[in-house]
Amino acid sequence: MNKNMTPDNDTNPMDEILKRTLQRQEAPDGFADRVLARLSERRSSQKPSLRDSWLRFLAQPLVRWAALAAFATAMILSGHLHNLRRERAEGEAAKQRLMLALRIAGSKLQLAKSRVNEINAGQPERPEERE
Amino acid sequence: MREKMPKKMLLLFLLLASPILRAQDTKIPPDVEKLSARAKETVEVTMDGPMLRWASKFLSSEDPEEQKAAKVVANLKGIYVRSFEFDKDGAYSASEVETLRSQFRSPGWSRVVGVRSQQDGDNVDIFFRLENDKMAGIVIIAAEPRELTFVNIVGSLEVDQLADLGGEFGIPKLDQKSLSKAHKGDQR
Repeated sequence: MNKNMTPDNDTNPMDEILKRTLQRQEAPDGFADRVLARLSERRSSQKPSLRDSWLRFLAQPLVRWAALAAFATAMILSGHLHNLRRERAEGEAAKQRLMLALRIAGSKLQLAKSRVNEINAGQPERPEERE
Repeated sequence: MREKMPKKMLLLFLLLASPILRAQDTKIPPDVEKLSARAKETVEVTMDGPMLRWASKFLSSEDPEEQKAAKVVANLKGIYVRSFEFDKDGAYSASEVETLRSQFRSPGWSRVVGVRSQQDGDNVDIFFRLENDKMAGIVIIAAEPRELTFVNIVGSLEVDQLADLGGEFGIPKLDQKSLSKAHKGDQR
């Protein structure tokens, strides 16, 4: 068996190839600048997404305050509307009660009136009244 | 002894005057409220001045019925109604109704209509409360075999408004012809 072919031999051709391949090499001059320039070029040419633009817009303090004010106004308005609607419903119910009371009162007056009419109609004329 | 006399007289005056004052201030007599326990159906309407004014705001000016109601309500201070329907005759006694009527046979009140019908058993009493020769209120007590209604309307009410009350609100005006027709129908 060849002595050079033993695994612990320092001059293994495979090792040599690997050493040469993985050997540290200096980057060519201006490589880093070129990479950075290309990156900045790509960033500037890339359009911002809609979501990003919205987020950037909402992040502004004035917009945040305006949104908060709008939310508060909407809450107050909806509460006011709810109260108005409830008041309207209660008012309608009160009106119905009032109409019911008037109807009952009216019907009883009508009953009295009809009975009085009935009595008047049923009364025979007295002979002395004729004379 | 002499100092005590005015106090005694004041007490006596208050005792004598209390039923009169009570009749004038009573909106719904307690005797009426007791009847609700025996009733099959009860209608209760209690509307004081502020409630009346608030409710009348919702009366439509386009509806003729509500227009008339608004006129009637304009000068009223309160409407109090209790109507009881019983499931059998004799659920309340005549003496109970008489006790109720007697509360309005006091100064300030005038009984203007009192109808007693032996045939149908319908008894209606209408009392007016007058203040300075002006009507300040009306009480209607209608006792029918299975129904008892107490109505107390507080406030000034003109006679024509009263007529409006009688002939409107979906209840047909009863003239002599319709009455006789109804009577014939009953006989059949």
